[in-house]
Amino acid sequence: MPPELDIIWRNIDYLLWGRLAQGELGGLLLSVVIALASGVLALCVGIALAILAWFSTGPVRRVLFLWADLIRGIPLIFVIFWVYFLVPALFGGNIPGTVSVILALAWFTSAAVMYSTLSGLQALSGGQREAALSTGLSEIQTLVWVLLPQALINLVPSYVSLFASLIKDTSLAFIVNVPELTMVASQVNNRTQLYPTTIFLFTAAMYFVLCGGLSLLVRRLMRRPVTASWD
Amino acid sequence: MFRKIPHIIAAAFLFVSGAAQADQLGDIRKAGVLRVAVFDSNPPFGFVDEKTHALEGYDIDFAKAFAEKIGVKLELVPTNPANRIPVLQSGKADLIVADLTITPERGKVVAFSTPYFVTGQQFLVTTDAPGKLEDYAKARIGAVKGTTGEQAAKARFPEARVLSYDDIPLAFAALRNGSVQAITQDAEILAGLLAEAPDKSKYKILPELLSRELIGVAIKKDEKALLTEVNTILSDLENNGQAEKIFEQWFGAKSKAPGARNFKIGAP
Repeated sequence: MPPELDIIWRNIDYLLWGRLAQGELGGLLLSVVIALASGVLALCVGIALAILAWFSTGPVRRVLFLWADLIRGIPLIFVIFWVYFLVPALFGGNIPGTVSVILALAWFTSAAVMYSTLSGLQALSGGQREAALSTGLSEIQTLVWVLLPQALINLVPSYVSLFASLIKDTSLAFIVNVPELTMVASQVNNRTQLYPTTIFLFTAAMYFVLCGGLSLLVRRLMRRPVTASWD
Repeated sequence: MFRKIPHIIAAAFLFVSGAAQADQLGDIRKAGVLRVAVFDSNPPFGFVDEKTHALEGYDIDFAKAFAEKIGVKLELVPTNPANRIPVLQSGKADLIVADLTITPERGKVVAFSTPYFVTGQQFLVTTDAPGKLEDYAKARIGAVKGTTGEQAAKARFPEARVLSYDDIPLAFAALRNGSVQAITQDAEILAGLLAEAPDKSKYKILPELLSRELIGVAIKKDEKALLTEVNTILSDLENNGQAEKIFEQWFGAKSKAPGARNFKIGAP
């Protein structure tokens, strides 16, 4: 076996699931878990905020947008740093590294979800809302039963691309030594030294397979085709 | 850019952590866990073993000894050179046992134990490169972010261009592809790095020392009970020969980075 393949082969279990046997998630599996957990959180919080923004006017709406713009205006790596280091110092207690990365990613992504969802709602024809109201539905019923179901379906491609970004953003967890794929790959690289190209190409391929697989899956699930980025 | 962040955060903690003082040793005993910040990418001090996937190394063995002597479980908190001190200050670890050189500047924000390792900083260069430190006064020198090596190289050779990397293997990669003419780190780290390198015949370590470095365990300031405990354990380890045994394992004649133990804990 050529040494390049051998180095991947000898470390494949560590790269894929880290120290799972010792009860510690790691590697690609941890990247997926972080992405899923923060994705679900961001989706719930983001949609909730969009609903709030949909109904609110004046100061509440302005605060919401200020909040979203503030987060979008800060590099994600800083958000991760602050959550990891400053939150425990301010409020005591000890948040595990993985949890602080999930919170930081969810916080960051929820702002993007809020913007997307709101624009999805606004993109619907105004007649939809007027027709629903004229049948006697309340504003809330109109949103929940008429507008949101249509908007959410239209928004799937946008959510998928946010989730693909989120998967790639999990690699920033290496800055606080959370053993996700990028971190374990650099640990292996730092021990073996000679094969950075192989190790990091392999790592990149893993991310690509993950994001590409996601696109394919969604395309299959959706009746309406979701165009993959390489089509 | 990133290496500035820990300093900014460290400054923020001065406001945040303020006067809150407690008996940390008591807290450790109560919690039953000693949390120690260690390296995961810095052989032979701390690295992930290929077979067991566990953290191992000189620092890890000391961390184990501390937990055992205090009588609590050990929790290793993997970190990198630039994050070491913030990890302690933010309360994520009780001790730093991560090849941390004792300096007056660091002494302002953390307390140091008696040194448990003594080393000197050297240069790793290609085999055909000049053999004297002074020959690199105007060279491009690779160092590791947040280490004393970075500072010492800048101080000694103000005209040199010191480039900082996240860790020593990355700096070595820069030397390999010619981005820098030399890389600098503690002697044992360079020896360990070279020993592991499959292309070791292409490189040499210059014998001259750039600086002498005393490595200590760092704890939060004003935690006298914990500091006394750490120092007591260190001198016990020296007296019962365990410290020498740990040294033998990682730096002894049979190790990958052989070196002479020219120090004794408590009597440097």
